[in-house]
Amino acid sequence: MREPDATGDGGRSRRDVLKAAVAVGGSVGLSACLDAIDGGEGSGTEAVPSGPEDLSTLPTRQFAWGEHIRRDEFGNEQLPAHQTLLYLTLPGEGPPTADQRATVETALTRLDEAYAWSHEGLLRSLAYSPEYFDRYETALPEPLDIYPARRLSPFETPEFDRQDALLHLASDRPDALLAAEQALTGERASANGVDFDAALTDVFTVDDRRTGFIGAGLPAAKQGGLEGVPEDGPVPDGSPLFMGFKAGFARNQAPEDRVTIQDGPFAGGTTKHVANLRQRLEDWYGEQDFTQRVMEMFSPMHAENDWVEGVGANLEDGSRVDETVATIEEQATEFGRVGHAQKAARANRDPDGTVKLNRRHFESADDGIASLHFPSLQREMSEFDAVREAMNGQDLTEITPAVRQRVNNGILEYIFVRHRGNFLVPPRDLRALPTPDGDAPQ
Amino acid sequence: MRRRAFLSGVGTAGALALAGCSEVVETRSLSGPPVLSNRPDAVYFPTHVEGMAMTGRADAGEYAFALMYSYPHRFWTVTGGEVTRTPVEEADDVHLMATVWDPETGTVLPETGLDVEISKGGELVSQEVIYPMLSQPMGFHYGANFGLDGDGEYEVTVSVGGTNTRRTGSFDGRFGDPARATIGFEYSQSDRDGIAFEETPDRAGDPTAREPMEMGMPNSVLPPADELPGDPRGTTETGDAVLAVTTLAAPPAGVDAPDGGTYLAVSARTPYNRMVLPAMAVEATLTADGTLFDGALTRTLDPDLGYHYGAAVDAVPAGADLELRVPTPPQVARHEGYETAFVGMPPTELTL
Repeated sequence: MREPDATGDGGRSRRDVLKAAVAVGGSVGLSACLDAIDGGEGSGTEAVPSGPEDLSTLPTRQFAWGEHIRRDEFGNEQLPAHQTLLYLTLPGEGPPTADQRATVETALTRLDEAYAWSHEGLLRSLAYSPEYFDRYETALPEPLDIYPARRLSPFETPEFDRQDALLHLASDRPDALLAAEQALTGERASANGVDFDAALTDVFTVDDRRTGFIGAGLPAAKQGGLEGVPEDGPVPDGSPLFMGFKAGFARNQAPEDRVTIQDGPFAGGTTKHVANLRQRLEDWYGEQDFTQRVMEMFSPMHAENDWVEGVGANLEDGSRVDETVATIEEQATEFGRVGHAQKAARANRDPDGTVKLNRRHFESADDGIASLHFPSLQREMSEFDAVREAMNGQDLTEITPAVRQRVNNGILEYIFVRHRGNFLVPPRDLRALPTPDGDAPQ
Repeated sequence: MRRRAFLSGVGTAGALALAGCSEVVETRSLSGPPVLSNRPDAVYFPTHVEGMAMTGRADAGEYAFALMYSYPHRFWTVTGGEVTRTPVEEADDVHLMATVWDPETGTVLPETGLDVEISKGGELVSQEVIYPMLSQPMGFHYGANFGLDGDGEYEVTVSVGGTNTRRTGSFDGRFGDPARATIGFEYSQSDRDGIAFEETPDRAGDPTAREPMEMGMPNSVLPPADELPGDPRGTTETGDAVLAVTTLAAPPAGVDAPDGGTYLAVSARTPYNRMVLPAMAVEATLTADGTLFDGALTRTLDPDLGYHYGAAVDAVPAGADLELRVPTPPQVARHEGYETAFVGMPPTELTL
């Protein structure tokens, strides 16, 4: 750990410390680190905005992030730069008690009070797995399209995240992210001026903690020494992701309305799939030139027509992938390759062209290994599975043997699925240990 | 990896100088003799022969796995009709090879995805999807060059994907699921350097192939053309590949042929040693007083026919003419001696 403010350049050294701290985790050393920073006088850091006076003004949807984050000049959402996933387990068997529910709600209410619902404060959601709902004798309502995570390709052997709950925290402020996590896990008594009289860890145990980041410059800054990224540091400075291209263009993302469950006790909620994909980019950058990377990330048509410059900022608010879907088989035959985005898009559109999935993926350097955390929101979980099946492109291996199970087949050669988990993100009023019939009695 | 980073910082002249000096230290682990300048568009005897060492075997799911290694060496990848040489990189320590087969029949599974994860003391060393590959002594296998982290105990986890190739007969419904197995690998550079290595200037370029290596496990040798099941109908050649044709009185289970009929199978193999040539696109036109069939043959894995290209047809009368076209040559990487064969594959005909 670097001494904060030792050089008089307090802002930068403090930021460096905090970025490192998110990756390191909630250790005692980290607490000391935070305390040192918080105690550091006049370091020029702006206060983290607090929650609203009237908590009822907070969005019903826990995933209502899109209107509360930065946008780039083209209107593309810029997810919070720093994010943490806490996988939480309830000890014992059977349903939770009313007291446990009250404790969870209190902890989350303190969080509401402490942090503004924004990228400058803290965005968050608490989601529950189908396995959590199995603790009850009643089943989830039949129309709800959610089920335990399963294998989604014939070539993956992931570990399944079957913990009870998933807490997702996101902020552009690493200090807010860390302090909130520490308050929720009982390592701090207060955060951003609010005393926490309850912690999630009064009820849950933390089974796993995963962290990450996204945004232009961050992958390039973190690529050094990271397993999976070539040592010559090929990730462009302007890229928000390790693979060197932008993603999540506004016109290729589902609106939050499209992913919102419409009916039943969980109306206002959504389903959330979270995968973790290890990235191995030696061959991505070493064996392929830019044109081939464009072919495999977007489509051969993109490469042929020079639609992508650099990291793809010239695409503005849409990847143009819809133009490449109809002729994907011809492109496969002609170029011996197919694109990741064009494959997936085949299953990711309503008849009127509306996109079905809202993807909120971000990068990770956990354990010194490059990986991608891939949360995706959709109204029905099976919509995610269908898009993943389209992305597998196994049908295209039958069009030409040049497209193989994982080679010349989008980016499948470079990503290795490590984890999959399925969760239900209930509406805000059911965020504390809900019952399957949509109640949260305390 | 550190070594590569160091080298990447050196300019062209420096890199050449370094290549020169490393050759003094260790010649054979780098690139072996230069590629022949006058290679035939056919199978040829390579410039050097290497042995290999068995690392270990394991079973998982429906599969048996074996892992072998040798010196890192150049190979050629194939995408469509384009052949690209993959040179040995400075950081490469071994060429790792994996074979996957069905323990019940001994059939080598030739067309799926396979990745290898290498760790040492719990730390990730590498993970890659590795290439389906053809070599003269091994035939079909999966392989790639890897850099390691010095001598020591490694764990290599081999993951095979469920296959998408059509399966017939008793293979119908099998091999659809992935599986992985971990095999220990005790590596030392001195052990590796004890693997046989011989330059073969007297035979290099000859129109022949090395003998298949006896490895104590199944290899991808196909039966002789005249011993194929059913009614062997003859052979033809293109691009130095041998295409052996047979017909069965009825399609095997797993072929969607509501009208029954005859099954036409083309078994593609290397000359000299009959190693399977998978992952081609094959089209056929069968004529006898009119066109009996005109279309693509389906890549198929069958316990009796082996890996082949097949279609259900109404009938295959004696004297019928069969034209075979290969729009896409075998999409498998090649060890030296196979990289110029099975690439340009003009249409070919035979009378059945």
